Amino acid sequence: MSNINDLIIIGAGPAGLSAAIYGGRAKLKTLVINKGSIGGLVDTTREIVNYPGYIQISGPDLMKDFENHAKSFGVEFLKGEVVNVDFSRENKIFITKKGEEFIAKAVIIASGSEPRQLNIPGEKRLRGSGVAYCATCDAEFFEGEDVVVIGSGDQAIEEGMYITKFAKKVTVIVLHDEGILDCNKVSAEKAFKNEKMEFVWNSTVVEVLGDENVDGVRIKNLKTGTLSELKCQGVFFFVGMVPSTGYLKDSGIKMNEKGYILVNDQMETNIPGVYAVGDNRVKYLRQVVTAASDGAIAAVAAERYIEEINSFNSSVLQSDKKVLLLFFNAYLTESLEFSSLLEKLNGEKGNDYKIFKVDLASKKFLAEKYAVKTAPTVVVLDQGKEMMRFEGLTEKEKLEARFY
Amino acid sequence: MSLQQLDTNLFEEIIYDNAEPCLVIFSRKNCHVCKEVLPMLEELKPRYEGKFGFYYVDVEESKNLFERFSLKGVPQILFFNHGMYKGKVAGKVDEDQVEEKIAEVLGA
Repeated sequence: MSNINDLIIIGAGPAGLSAAIYGGRAKLKTLVINKGSIGGLVDTTREIVNYPGYIQISGPDLMKDFENHAKSFGVEFLKGEVVNVDFSRENKIFITKKGEEFIAKAVIIASGSEPRQLNIPGEKRLRGSGVAYCATCDAEFFEGEDVVVIGSGDQAIEEGMYITKFAKKVTVIVLHDEGILDCNKVSAEKAFKNEKMEFVWNSTVVEVLGDENVDGVRIKNLKTGTLSELKCQGVFFFVGMVPSTGYLKDSGIKMNEKGYILVNDQMETNIPGVYAVGDNRVKYLRQVVTAASDGAIAAVAAERYIEEINSFNSSVLQSDKKVLLLFFNAYLTESLEFSSLLEKLNGEKGNDYKIFKVDLASKKFLAEKYAVKTAPTVVVLDQGKEMMRFEGLTEKEKLEARFY
Repeated sequence: MSLQQLDTNLFEEIIYDNAEPCLVIFSRKNCHVCKEVLPMLEELKPRYEGKFGFYYVDVEESKNLFERFSLKGVPQILFFNHGMYKGKVAGKVDEDQVEEKIAEVLGA
């Protein structure tokens, strides 16, 4: 494994693996850095029934297929945790927890999300001693016992039903009025019919009780403000997710107030060559199929970006001739006329310069690299170094006087 | 370096008969947090070669062991010395927490 790559993908959930498939197929030297299990959150999903082409499959099985697919295109995988990044230059730098350093031209951030904690008294202290976040992992430790589930989304209700296979009773604490759950209708109907499921409405859990192990929860009724205690041996928290983007807080990447990364249609962040896909970006629907879609888009966008950088480096920065780097605006006639004028003049003078045209709108990374704001702007480069620049429209005579 | 797996008999032998200072992670195959914690222990193990043992119990295969310690979830790392239980750390723990606990067990 080399430390220098075309593309580095952080995270190996469905978004990261899809990006890896597209990156590998495009013959980019692609490295996936992943701290946990391959498949991310999907790896904890027992049953997936809405990924096209698979009527029913387990999360781990589906992710194994994704992984094998990526490996078939030569993608490399590294188990590690990225703790620091430097995206300020063209070569992006990554530092792992073990202190290894990796470099890539482009990066796709697919680090996903993690369960939100309520941060109520007892939650952290009794974690693993009755406080749990994963039913697949821990449900069976509560055989014949009383369990409380906090939350009413898809995960809370579906996992809650799974826990009833082991527990004596599952009590779901719901914020809303009686009969209202946040989960899908099919699951809600099933849950209401499940004899082992009970619901406490208009309520939230304010404390987990117990010394060595959980022995109950304190529940607050939000309408009346009354507090009550409920005996139980287990509490499962399913109160939503938070993006795993903490390690990027000093990277300069724009995020919203919750830490989700902002991207455009091409999955581009505000930093050229840096893309964000899957659950860690702001989006409407967080499913395997949309994660896969994100990954594909980002990898194609990254491929084009890398291609542009490579072609720029070879034809401009390593050019024997001096280069006129012309930033123009394809939508402005004057800008286009100026472009032909410059080419014509250069032709008349025996092509002393190599002209490299850059559309200001589509090659943002070059505009940023040279801090160009207006079109037309001409930057004169000699051996890749800027010698001078001119902004705005210029008449032929003046151009001639300046350059020749 | 992968951790040696213990069944009930080996557990008795290593923890109580040999009474060596060691840790045992109780884990299972389909638990994603375990898959993050286990590799961390595998990396840590060589640094404690000959000083502190690192072992693994699969709770699905050795149900009686997790019942004995009335565990409520995986992963859990249990610490032992002189055949005595010296406490545990649960859930998604990092290297520092494990090393701290090892130092505590060895120092006591």
